[in-house]
Amino acid sequence: MTYRKLAGAAALLTAATLGLAAPTAAVAAPAQPPCSEASTVRETLPNGTTWQLCWRIHDRAGLVLTDVSVSTKKHPEPVQVLQSIRLAQLNVPYDTGDTEYNDLTTYGFGGYSLETLTGDDCKGGSTRQGTDGSGDPQQRDVLCVSAEASGLAYRLHEQEWDDEANEPKDTYFTKEGHDLVLRSISKVGWYEYVSEYRLHDDGQISARLGATGDLSPGDYSVADNGWPIGKREKDYASMHYHSAFWRVDFNIDGKGGETVEQYDTKMDGRGSQAAKLVTTSKTIAKEASLNKVDRRWWRLVSPTSKNADGHKRSYELVTGADDPYEGHPEMQPDVTFTQANLCDKWATDNVSDPECPLDNYGILDFAKDKQKLTDPVMWVRVGFHHVPRDEDQSPMPLHWQGFDLLPRDFTETNPLAPEGREAVNGQQRN
Amino acid sequence: MSRYRKWGWGLGIATVTAVTAYGLASWQANAAPAPPTPSAAANAQPRVSDPKPVAEPVSGKGSDGLTTSEVEKARTLALTPELTSGAQNVAGEAGPEYLSAEVDFENAGRQAELYFYDYKTDKLIKQVVDLKTGKLAKSFSAAGMQPPASERESAVALDLLLADPQSADFKEAFQKATGKQFAGKDGLVATAHIYKAKPADKGASQCGKSRCVQLIVKTADGHFINVPGLIIDLSGRKIARLT
Ligand SMILES: [Cu+2]
Repeated sequence: MTYRKLAGAAALLTAATLGLAAPTAAVAAPAQPPCSEASTVRETLPNGTTWQLCWRIHDRAGLVLTDVSVSTKKHPEPVQVLQSIRLAQLNVPYDTGDTEYNDLTTYGFGGYSLETLTGDDCKGGSTRQGTDGSGDPQQRDVLCVSAEASGLAYRLHEQEWDDEANEPKDTYFTKEGHDLVLRSISKVGWYEYVSEYRLHDDGQISARLGATGDLSPGDYSVADNGWPIGKREKDYASMHYHSAFWRVDFNIDGKGGETVEQYDTKMDGRGSQAAKLVTTSKTIAKEASLNKVDRRWWRLVSPTSKNADGHKRSYELVTGADDPYEGHPEMQPDVTFTQANLCDKWATDNVSDPECPLDNYGILDFAKDKQKLTDPVMWVRVGFHHVPRDEDQSPMPLHWQGFDLLPRDFTETNPLAPEGREAVNGQQRN
Repeated sequence: MSRYRKWGWGLGIATVTAVTAYGLASWQANAAPAPPTPSAAANAQPRVSDPKPVAEPVSGKGSDGLTTSEVEKARTLALTPELTSGAQNVAGEAGPEYLSAEVDFENAGRQAELYFYDYKTDKLIKQVVDLKTGKLAKSFSAAGMQPPASERESAVALDLLLADPQSADFKEAFQKATGKQFAGKDGLVATAHIYKAKPADKGASQCGKSRCVQLIVKTADGHFINVPGLIIDLSGRKIARLT
């Protein structure tokens, strides 16, 4: 029967793949990170994935992660993903037009605004002590490190034929995933912000900003830019934006020099049954501010580092819910790629370093001279238009905004693939 | 894809040996009494390591934040006699206003970047101290740059506001929020956001060149008083009103 022939082929493939991917007898010790042990997070999640990174608190950016590497049970050698990731601005304009804050550059997430973790802030996790990044640095409990279940990681119902019993056999591959979660909390006036990075056991990285605390006590307006949150139709809490920027600097496999690629998928006539779609890609070779259209996405590709299939390793930017803000031109682009430059620190309101130029206001200026991208930095903007609701008081339930970085061809197959599925890699031939 | 193909797809295991009698097993599970509730330990969140905090080292390594000793050392080295005598702080005293310290590890070795504000010239000063050699490596200064306010600047801003007749707005907001008449600054904590005038803003156009802040004030009983229209010009030591 045909399936028996297939079985043989698959078995051969299994052995070959195992040979390639089998861990060496002694698992290599992870390379020492370029920071002290107290600023290192190195944790192994239940599925065998280990994330390693350095962290610190910056007086304006708050939590900064650097030298982020990942290894898995199947690939025990750590491979670097990020050089660094951090917030790069938080713009909060009220719809009345009478109030606006740049919470990072005019106030700061570190130093005195950084909260000391307490209560349930780090329930089930490990609170890490470190400097709060202020001009008069204090050692405090500032970082929470925890492992959290992320739900079903995968599921596969395999049906095969048992030769001996001469009957079908069902195998269920089903696995719970986990995230390594890092978070710090900053208090800016009445608002409290949670800077969170979730390092998933499948290699995905999620960056999120959560807002809680209380609504502004002073910003009340009228029905067309507020929402009545007190008794009857009287107290209209002002609607407002939280427009956040993150600065992401990849360093895939420690080799850097990633290429930025943009992919677009368009309708292209019809096939025999359905619409045909065609996907094209182009290299973003020079600094650029870019916007989303349906099905458009970007990835940063290592020019040299490849997985075992010979595919170049990359990470893809995955964006979700987002409210753009038309009030400022620099809030228009969804993503901006710029050539790394030590003077480009803040996505907007950047001018605050006497060593750097005065006319370098933000991302649009960084990208203006369209330099060639040989060491790209990615600035991701995610906005949230906050329409207050009765439930926002009090405290306000956390609302989140952020994005994901998804490994694309970082490993030749699912890094969490269970025993029995290693053979599946590409079209099955017989 | 053929039906057989589907069957064959999962045959990654070279040989299949004994198979559990699935029907029987499931019947038994259903008939048996409910399994005991898993213990708290089995249900618990997966553990991460929980290292004991260590004493702060004298010097940091690589990308570590600056340590207390490093900042102290750098502050001493950054304050040149010229700055100490020539510059002015937010209180109008000799010496620059110290704002912040950042680590720079991107270049070779660790450097401390210290930021000061000189109220005499309205310039931001950046002093770069090489922590290894213990020398002031570089100095920069520029006008029109306004990083976040220090805690002392916030406190001075509150004093300036309360001393000004225009603080009537603030005092009114205080009474509305707390139900009590304003009786002095005891227990008030001020949060200062730097204010820089945008081209279309009216009322405090000097801000940006001058060092200005907006205050959010927390009262002793936890109320926030916010009068965003009032701008405190720390350079000019006066209150401006946005119109
Ligand atoms: Cu909000």
